[in-house]
Amino acid sequence: MGKYSDDPAWADVTPLPTDEGGPNPLAAIAYSEEYEETMSYLRAAMAANEFSPRVLDLTEDLIDMNPAHYTVWLYRAHCLFAINSDLKEELDWLNETALQHQKNYQIWHHRMLILDKLDSCEGEGEFVERMFEKDAKNYHVWSYRQWLVKRFALWENGELEFTEKLIEKDVRNNSAWNHRWYVINGREGEGVRGITDPRIREREVDFAEVAVAKAPQNQSPWSYLRGIARKGGMPLSSLKDFVSQYASLEQPDEVRSSHALDMMAEILAEEDNGKQQAGAALDMLAQKYDPIRKNYWEYRKGMLGLPSAAA
Amino acid sequence: MPLIKKEDPEDSLDERLQNQARIEELVSDGDDAFEDEDENGASDDSGIPFPGKPSKRQRKMPPWLQQATINLFHDELVTTTSEAQQKVTAECLPLLTEEDTGIFSLNTYGLPHLRRDQHASFLRAQLERLPAQYQVIDASRPWLFYWTMAGLSFLGQDVSSYRDQLIATVSPLQNPGGGFGGGHGQLSHCAGTYATVLALAAVGGLRMVDRKAMWHWLGSVKQSDGGFCMAVGAEEDIRGAYCAMTILTLLNLPLELPPDAPSRKHGLTSFTDKLGEWVGKCQTYEGGIAGAPTNEAHGAYAFCALACLSILDAPAVSIPKYLDVPALVAWLAARQTTPEGGFQGRQEKLVDACYSHWVGGCWDLIQAALPDNSTLGEDGKDIWNRAALIRYLITCCQQPGKKGGMRDKPSTRPDAYHTCYSVAGLSHAQNHYRYNNNNQPSSEGRLTAAFNWTASPPTEAEMREWKVDKEDLVEFVHPVFVLPMGVVEAARREFEQGGF
Repeated sequence: MGKYSDDPAWADVTPLPTDEGGPNPLAAIAYSEEYEETMSYLRAAMAANEFSPRVLDLTEDLIDMNPAHYTVWLYRAHCLFAINSDLKEELDWLNETALQHQKNYQIWHHRMLILDKLDSCEGEGEFVERMFEKDAKNYHVWSYRQWLVKRFALWENGELEFTEKLIEKDVRNNSAWNHRWYVINGREGEGVRGITDPRIREREVDFAEVAVAKAPQNQSPWSYLRGIARKGGMPLSSLKDFVSQYASLEQPDEVRSSHALDMMAEILAEEDNGKQQAGAALDMLAQKYDPIRKNYWEYRKGMLGLPSAAA
Repeated sequence: MPLIKKEDPEDSLDERLQNQARIEELVSDGDDAFEDEDENGASDDSGIPFPGKPSKRQRKMPPWLQQATINLFHDELVTTTSEAQQKVTAECLPLLTEEDTGIFSLNTYGLPHLRRDQHASFLRAQLERLPAQYQVIDASRPWLFYWTMAGLSFLGQDVSSYRDQLIATVSPLQNPGGGFGGGHGQLSHCAGTYATVLALAAVGGLRMVDRKAMWHWLGSVKQSDGGFCMAVGAEEDIRGAYCAMTILTLLNLPLELPPDAPSRKHGLTSFTDKLGEWVGKCQTYEGGIAGAPTNEAHGAYAFCALACLSILDAPAVSIPKYLDVPALVAWLAARQTTPEGGFQGRQEKLVDACYSHWVGGCWDLIQAALPDNSTLGEDGKDIWNRAALIRYLITCCQQPGKKGGMRDKPSTRPDAYHTCYSVAGLSHAQNHYRYNNNNQPSSEGRLTAAFNWTASPPTEAEMREWKVDKEDLVEFVHPVFVLPMGVVEAARREFEQGGF
């Protein structure tokens, strides 16, 4: 009556049907017969700890029906390794599946396990890049890409240029900015300096400044600059001339970016006798340039410790 | 006009499934789904409402919705991100400015009422038998139990009548080795176990949990670097840390690692070993928190980090110990989108109602972590904008029509996930949550910090300021465990004795 129950190759297995937990289960799913049957055979296989080619086929069937089934993925990986299956073949199959189920999460963890075992990442960079064509901010794909870079030491294999390309495509792609930060600073633990190296820092400041010029209200490069200052030991004040092109107290009606005004407030607050001016910049944010965050700007003003900060 | 599409053409199940399936991982990437399915509609006749398009009515708008503010900062460069953002602003603005609220009944201040009964019946409907297309959520059914039980409770509904049915339903999900899988015969998973335990707590059914087996299983996912994997052999991320610590604390399991825990071989002895340090490593250069070290900062993970630390100790102790607080506060504040007023999950992404909880819920925790001498006075002056979040949820995220439910944004369909976290977000915005030092004497072997919270409703003046009617207030939501306060207290008492 079913694909498995009619198959002599499975005749030795007694399927374990779904236990619904009683006659009135909550949110019970009316499974298709095919899904119900396949799951029943998987349960039986798992209970017997069976790792075999037929179990691999079974997991493939299930993944086709429900790619978000983490148990099936984990069991499949286990099975592949247990029977020394051809991992290149697995990767080919995975490529198709990944393109069909772009947002699926388990695929990427599975892929990681396979590549790690294969100990090769040939063609992987291109594959991942194709995934970004549909959604350039996919969290799981970016996290996978970070793993690739680290596992296969791809730090200097065009990875920086790759982030540049994606940022060029969409300067507001914060995931690409985050990846850039990773590529530059991801080896601190191994003693490879990132933005603490003055030459790299200078290059990255330039890079972010050019990006700000393209779209001053895009927060990504501003955060990047702030990150450089915070982690790279660079005083924010060194950015003052740059920031004042976008926000300055002298031209209170010409502010081109709320992020610039925010940074200006921070720069001023660090100056001798600059706190009053910093307070004025925060007032501009609260009242005119970013009123939705009025409470936050007032909080920041309170932190300045200005004398009698009343109202 | 997205809302005037009267009879929802038979809710396309596909879209709803997409919405549901993608959150199996606790984190919504709603923006992405939105970009895919957005083609039909919203904008052809309304045009782009800015810059300079005069508002039809001259209602007094809050500052962030005044034309002069909306007209600020429109960079000319068009990219995928800016196009998507512009569409969302266009679909939200008529609703936010009350030009398009005709189909809702309005409160004293001209904003729609909370459609409490419709949202409740929407959630109840999720518990009925589901058609075969729901197979794709077969590994995340425990979430449905949690979102419905929690969501209904936050709406003020009694869910205790589901107790026996829920216990029976989740029994086959509990594995002999401890923990719950997404379904019968599925491996135990931190997300499924978290969702099941919380759902059981909500109905008063925690007795059915095999606590000793649970303790062993949690020991098997604790990692030698301090974090937790989601399942044996699965990925390590910050959800694991929050879920595991929540389960451990609610059930009062021993903090000591079981003898068979693999991380013991690396010198760890307690579930809390290296945990705060691991969470600290997830803070990125942006100031926000990533799912795992070096990944991109994300609002849902910020909540997991803060809640996990708030389990370890008083927020004022544990949060500054492991995190750069000013950097995180700045990052969180920047997530409230203007002009929509809700929260986005990441920098330069779109507003999504689910972050009303993930980011909105961070404020209770982080405000409790700020030093006493900060500007946050006894009157509870906030550093975020409650009125803007309330307006977004009430005007943009309520599905019109008989079916109710709440949604990511106007162009998306409601689902249980967004309904639960929208209502939780509303509770963070409407109510006050306070951490009371030494309220709860720490008892031997149990982390008691998370039991020290109290809640209070808004004052009359606040309700006027935030444009909320009394009848639209929702229940208190525990800031760490995201359950009703009374449910958390009951769990604390139930397992006060500890032991097995």
